[in-house]
Amino acid sequence: MWLSVFGLLIGITLGFLVDFDIPHEYSNYLSIAVLAAFDTLFGGIRAHLQNLYDEVVFVTGFFFNIVLAAGLAFLGVHLGVDLYLAAIFVFGVRLFQNIALIRRILIEKWSVSRKKQKKNL
Amino acid sequence: MRKINGKRVVLPLVCVVLGFMIAYSYNLTKEGAGKDKSLDQEYELRQQLIEQEKQNRELQKELLQKQENVSQIEKDLAQEKQLFFNLAKDTEKYRMFLGKVKVKGPGLQVTLEDGTDMESEANVNNYLVHEQHVFKVVNELYISGAEAVAINGQRLNHDSYIICNGPVIAIDGHQHPAPFIISAIGDPDVLGASLDLPGGIKEQLVNENIIFTVEKQKNIIFDPIIGG
Repeated sequence: MWLSVFGLLIGITLGFLVDFDIPHEYSNYLSIAVLAAFDTLFGGIRAHLQNLYDEVVFVTGFFFNIVLAAGLAFLGVHLGVDLYLAAIFVFGVRLFQNIALIRRILIEKWSVSRKKQKKNL
Repeated sequence: MRKINGKRVVLPLVCVVLGFMIAYSYNLTKEGAGKDKSLDQEYELRQQLIEQEKQNRELQKELLQKQENVSQIEKDLAQEKQLFFNLAKDTEKYRMFLGKVKVKGPGLQVTLEDGTDMESEANVNNYLVHEQHVFKVVNELYISGAEAVAINGQRLNHDSYIICNGPVIAIDGHQHPAPFIISAIGDPDVLGASLDLPGGIKEQLVNENIIFTVEKQKNIIFDPIIGG
């Protein structure tokens, strides 16, 4: 757990320190990739809380979703169809769903533990 | 054991990638002001284009002016060329008159011989070719357009002199006996006609008992005068 937080910090510092410019039209792909990463991350957290977590699924999903979202957006730009909207929509909806599920699970756990505490008392 | 190890490595790796992407995206968005930037760039480029076009127009004007200059210079050059050509031609002509160059062309050959059918008590002098006869022929030839004249193969130039020296004639110091062959380059018809005028040179000389023969020649060659 601590290692993960540490990795996150390292990533953030790296991201701030790195100073190469990508063309403006590619920043769209990056934001979609970020969205996909978020979606997978919260999906993973939810799965973990539901005891459904599988590391292989999580890791492959993480990278595959990023690539797929970016690729879809790229394809959309070249076909003249705004496919990145589809990606944003799907990932956005799933993000909200996952966060809502996480919230409910946490609340459930919290209330259960409180009942236990009350019983113990 | 191995599984745990993998788990410990993979999750932080995912986190590193995520963190990097988030931070980089944030950075990019902050720097961007994207559309404004591209608009600014477009405006700047447009401005540059206008500037460039202005410059182009000015340069084009300059080019036109320079082209005009060039054509003017070319005209001058052509005139100059013509001038030089004429000068060269003149030089050639003057060289020919001075005897500095080899000349050849059609011409006329006049032979003056001492008279032979003289009576016993007559004065020999009346039957000889004198220098004034040669003068007359040479002058007549020059007057009627001869370009070069030679006597017995010796070419005359602008300051040649002819002296009667007893039975011989000295031309520029070289002695020549009779008969005198005077060759001239020029239009043979014109030269011949001018000698044949009634009361002209031929008649005068024949009256003075000189044997006068005229011969038209197609090609006479004079070598340049050496040391002239």
